[in-house]
Amino acid sequence: MAGLKIKGKPSSTRDRLFRATIALILVAVSAVVLVPLLNLLALSLSDPARVGEVTGLSILPKGFSTVNYRVLAANPLFVRSILNALFITVVGTAINLVVTSMAAFALTRANLPGRRFFMLLVIVIMVLEPGLIPEYLVVKKIGLMNSLWAVILYKTVNVYYLIILMRFFEEVPQSLIEAARVDGAGYGTIFLKIMLPLAKPALATLGLFYGVFHWNEYFRASIYLSDPDKYPLQLILRQFVVLDDTASLIGSGALFSYEEAARLDYGALKASTIIVAMLPVLIVYPLILKYYTKGVMEGGVKE
Amino acid sequence: MRQEGFLIVLLVPALVYFSVYHLVPMAGMVLAFQDFRIVGHSQWVGLKHFKLLFSSPSFLGVLKNTLIISSMKIILFFPLPIAFALMLNELRSVLVRKFVQATAYLPHFLSWVVISGVWISFLSPSTGGANQARGLVGLPPVDYMTSKSAIRWVLFASETWRSLGWDSIIYLAALMRISPSLYESADMDGAGPLQKAVYITIPELAPTMITVLILNLGFFMSAGFDQVFNMMNDSVISVVDILDTYVYRIGLLNMQYSFSTAASLFKGLIGLVLILGTHTAAKKVTGKGLW
Repeated sequence: MAGLKIKGKPSSTRDRLFRATIALILVAVSAVVLVPLLNLLALSLSDPARVGEVTGLSILPKGFSTVNYRVLAANPLFVRSILNALFITVVGTAINLVVTSMAAFALTRANLPGRRFFMLLVIVIMVLEPGLIPEYLVVKKIGLMNSLWAVILYKTVNVYYLIILMRFFEEVPQSLIEAARVDGAGYGTIFLKIMLPLAKPALATLGLFYGVFHWNEYFRASIYLSDPDKYPLQLILRQFVVLDDTASLIGSGALFSYEEAARLDYGALKASTIIVAMLPVLIVYPLILKYYTKGVMEGGVKE
Repeated sequence: MRQEGFLIVLLVPALVYFSVYHLVPMAGMVLAFQDFRIVGHSQWVGLKHFKLLFSSPSFLGVLKNTLIISSMKIILFFPLPIAFALMLNELRSVLVRKFVQATAYLPHFLSWVVISGVWISFLSPSTGGANQARGLVGLPPVDYMTSKSAIRWVLFASETWRSLGWDSIIYLAALMRISPSLYESADMDGAGPLQKAVYITIPELAPTMITVLILNLGFFMSAGFDQVFNMMNDSVISVVDILDTYVYRIGLLNMQYSFSTAASLFKGLIGLVLILGTHTAAKKVTGKGLW
């Protein structure tokens, strides 16, 4: 955006006032995003005895205590749900990347038999939405009920991401591929040694998006999993915070191993659960900003 | 030939996935014309479930909610990311700009479960920040989450909170493509920032605006399942229940598989017409489409 800066003419007072107003509005938008999040962080880290002093607009904790997080860490169901979510995210993302990149490579080769038919299939899948009940019945029929695999395999290929990757593969210079062919390379070598290394930035971006998707998933887990031991964190969070079902998480004896337990505040405990559920996203967020927004700003929007 | 066979092998895992999670369930939509049986063959009943659907007052209410909530989230929301991108474009300080972008894009990556948790807490009548801010100016507290008149605005506001920044990216990218010489000559003529926005920036952004609006209209029947599912409660269900939440409740909770599938087939067909129609329109306006 630096190109838009206009040099030379000194800005008038009116211009400066205009820009200052805009900066103020934008910073206010940032505050509206940040204050509710920081408020929860403050609530979760406050001393239980002083948690009442934390107002809805405070962004700093009153006193300091990690008791809420220790209570959560001592809860087997909660810890289990984090492990489940990590498993779904890591395995799911790996499968996403392998299957999507193989399909994108095959679909961009001119001599793939039936290529036009497969492309039509991709478009049909993009515009036709299967109903929830038929999907549920299929998953039930193939025996994936109450299995983490039902959740992992849902959205194995995001059709939009597939198309983004296809466009990326199409842009690889034909001469590069021809040269490899002359050297006797087959499709396997071209895919592994030329295409995948070149597509690293695109794969990293899609991997981050797939990863965030898996970490945030709760709905398929709620309909396919019946065993609470298999629930991912977002589903536990939904029960605890959205449905206000405190018994399932707190009912266990783990809570009472802490002397502060009697003074525990549910609001603060909920806040801590929300913070933990956001944490992995916050950790990869700088990478997302780096890869995605940079890609968009430099190469135009690819959607 | 061996080489072409290898390409098919690469495609097989994706084809298996498409079959299991897309094609077979798509074929399974015939359930809408049958009475579901757990054992044995389901009976064909023609349009019975569709007739029931259109004579059901609850379905008509749900349809109305879907249209209202979609209108708010697509049409009313539409100018906001544009305004946000324009304002961001006027910022001179790179630091402030980066800070505003980094914070405004963040909520897009949070799950609706998390966002709902954040908003329920922020809107709490006793301890929430929103009501304490009202208290500062002497206004009485409002229980937004359980108020029938407020809840749709909560949906609109939380959608804005989540998407304002992220949806402005496409406009920021379009702004970068505007030739600086246009602004330079406007400067020579002594145009102010507001005039430059009205006479250069907005006309240059028009194709992007039209594309975004048209493509979003293709999802008019969806209205955002995850958001509504995580923000609704018994007090407000009559004003926020949308097609997708209705299908879930009637189908999976009440086990009326056929009736619920009729509702999702209806939604899918309208959605298909909208997507194909709006896509053709977008192609006409901008000269390029998604396929």
